[in-house]
Amino acid sequence: MNKYEKYIRYQTFPTPWCPGCGDGIVLKSIAMAFSDLNLDPNDIIVIAGIGCSGRMPTFFNTNTLHTTHGRALTFATGVKLSRPDKLVVVISGDGDALAIGGNHLIHAARRNIGIKMILINNGVYGMTGGQVSPLTPQKFITETTPYGNIEPKFHPAELMIAARATFVARETVNRTVQLKEVIKKSFQHKGFSVVEAISNCHINLGRKNKMKNPVKMTKWIAERTVTKAQYEKMTTEERAHKYPVGILEENTDRYEYSELYHKHIVPAAKEAAKKNNKK
Amino acid sequence: MDREEKQINEAALEIRKKKQPSKKKNIIELVSHYCKGCGLCVDSCPTGTLLLEDNINSKFGISVMIAAPEYCIGCKMCERRCPDFAIFINHEKDKEEQ
Amino acid sequence: MSKRKVFQGNIIVAKAAIAAGCDFFAGYPITPSSEVSQHLSKEFPKMGRDFIQMEDEISALGACIGASLSGKKVLTATSGPGFSLMQEHLGLAVMAEIPLVIVNVMRGGPSTGIPTKPSQADMMQTRWGTHGDHPIIVLYPAFADEIFSETVRAFNLSEKFWNPVILLLDEVIAKAHEDIEIPEKKDINIYTEKVNVIKDLNIYDRNIGENPPRVDFFKGYPIHIDGLEHDSHGWPTSDPATADKMQHLRMQKIYHFQDEIIKFNEYHMEDAEIMVFAFGVSARAALSAVREARDEGIKVGLFQPLTIWPFPKKALQERFRKVKKVLTVEMNMGQIKYEIERVSSDDVMKKTLLRANGIPFTPKEIVNSIKEFTK
Repeated sequence: MNKYEKYIRYQTFPTPWCPGCGDGIVLKSIAMAFSDLNLDPNDIIVIAGIGCSGRMPTFFNTNTLHTTHGRALTFATGVKLSRPDKLVVVISGDGDALAIGGNHLIHAARRNIGIKMILINNGVYGMTGGQVSPLTPQKFITETTPYGNIEPKFHPAELMIAARATFVARETVNRTVQLKEVIKKSFQHKGFSVVEAISNCHINLGRKNKMKNPVKMTKWIAERTVTKAQYEKMTTEERAHKYPVGILEENTDRYEYSELYHKHIVPAAKEAAKKNNKK
Repeated sequence: MDREEKQINEAALEIRKKKQPSKKKNIIELVSHYCKGCGLCVDSCPTGTLLLEDNINSKFGISVMIAAPEYCIGCKMCERRCPDFAIFINHEKDKEEQ
Repeated sequence: MSKRKVFQGNIIVAKAAIAAGCDFFAGYPITPSSEVSQHLSKEFPKMGRDFIQMEDEISALGACIGASLSGKKVLTATSGPGFSLMQEHLGLAVMAEIPLVIVNVMRGGPSTGIPTKPSQADMMQTRWGTHGDHPIIVLYPAFADEIFSETVRAFNLSEKFWNPVILLLDEVIAKAHEDIEIPEKKDINIYTEKVNVIKDLNIYDRNIGENPPRVDFFKGYPIHIDGLEHDSHGWPTSDPATADKMQHLRMQKIYHFQDEIIKFNEYHMEDAEIMVFAFGVSARAALSAVREARDEGIKVGLFQPLTIWPFPKKALQERFRKVKKVLTVEMNMGQIKYEIERVSSDDVMKKTLLRANGIPFTPKEIVNSIKEFTK
């Protein structure tokens, strides 16, 4: 067993994901990030919602929690407020985080609570057979858009920046070293962080759109990947369908929520109580 | 093996033609009962060391084989991209450094 | 000088929660339960305990569960529409065996209903609201001192049985101001035997009728908690034998101990020929009514359940051997009356006094119903 395997719960293997699914690559990148930072598994909790990405906590050898659809961030808020000293990681798919869980996402960002979110964006509801999600590219065929998707996508990273998240980054499952690095940086960031990992669902999305092979679909993602610097030089037309990667927002000005509560509100309340008692 | 999987193999063989065997020996470890034969490692390898093969013992009828171990340069791209923890490069060595 | 002070019902719940050691509250404002939340928002920071107002009731219960798994004693307070939203997470708490206390202050329903008037129309929802087979404990006090003691008991039961406990109130008893002597700390019995050390990762492994040897997160054990059906480790499974075993373990955990969990009050029942079955605000009016009727010579008594679920079937069946007339009083269109029908045989005459328009029963109305019964 090498360093990063310490964070893997082999007793629950093999993984349930399709051959070549990007979820496994994200699992490994997170384990490598834990290992690079030399974290104690007892100080980590991995929480996920429902979906293929939701099965990920089962495979981590840390504290793990599998919750309801779209609400992983709410459980994480309870954990982080109770144990502000622990690393709280939330793994969510695009449907889980942006459809049913959209509300909780913007509030977690607004509060700047120190939860580290990994948003696995494969543009589809994979586990249930391949229905359209808020991040499915336009014109794609899915189980619930048999004539082509007419709904435009969110831009999740930009949405997060608008909701005042203090660390937003995007990487893909092709760029494994950069993915691990950006996850590491997000763990070291104090406030709310979102790392969007562009992944491939070739079986339930790619197959309906002429990309049933994982190598072919990951190449399709690679063609659309551009660095932040390249993206900034592009015209609006060129920018369509492109995924700018890298750290898109990093802001250390804002207070982290649990710190604000425990280090400011609680002492202030105790002071006020003391003064009241003296009267 | 379908047409696209054959194409992955052909691409790997093409890459290997332009490479030389590696100067250092690197140990490739396959955990065959986890390998799902997705081909991502074959595609990631910069020297065409790995290939897909039909395999009746594998759950998916296809798995990875180490076609040319002497070409492995120890870059670990395959290990990083394998979603199933089915391939490790110089695994023992990591244990020692721990 | 008397130690009795006047407090609002909601505030009594909050004070009892503090006394029971509750140290995490996540909620959302809703009439008529907001005072619980407001009181704790003031008191908890003074004590270094956690308070947060979440963005909706779903997230409130989510945060509570996260905190409970991290070792806190948790509480949330809501009313009808919020309670309906909480059903999914309530099911998760039952499935994963997580202690927590939910206060539901019943108001006029269904839907938005009449927010500022009482009802008792969530009785069946507290038993069956969430999907799937699930055991549940539901307590429902009526008087101020009961509000305090049942709140403390709710925390004790949820910790002892690793299950959510619902504490029901109605708009009247929650909002009314009543005098109460808050018990001294030494007189309050708090359950302190929650397990926090395990020998291996089989956190759900035990015999029928026993509680799971589950620890909280961050105790040094890499445990997995899941809403999916799971094996003794907590790891997901769909194996039929395991699923069957787990279903029985979860149900029997509560029903094996019903005698300990079920509590009720009886007034004037010794030689009663008519039983009035009432709870919450209706029980308060019923008690006055029963005393008035007794003054007129009618042999009537009041059976007031403090535990609604599990339903006090055994106790009632014992009383129905002698008492052959029962009047169920509830502020709804008929819910607990079906339970009374279920636990009594045909030789027991059953009448009901029902109303669901937000106006509580007066003692006079109940006396009239009792008199009808004597004919």
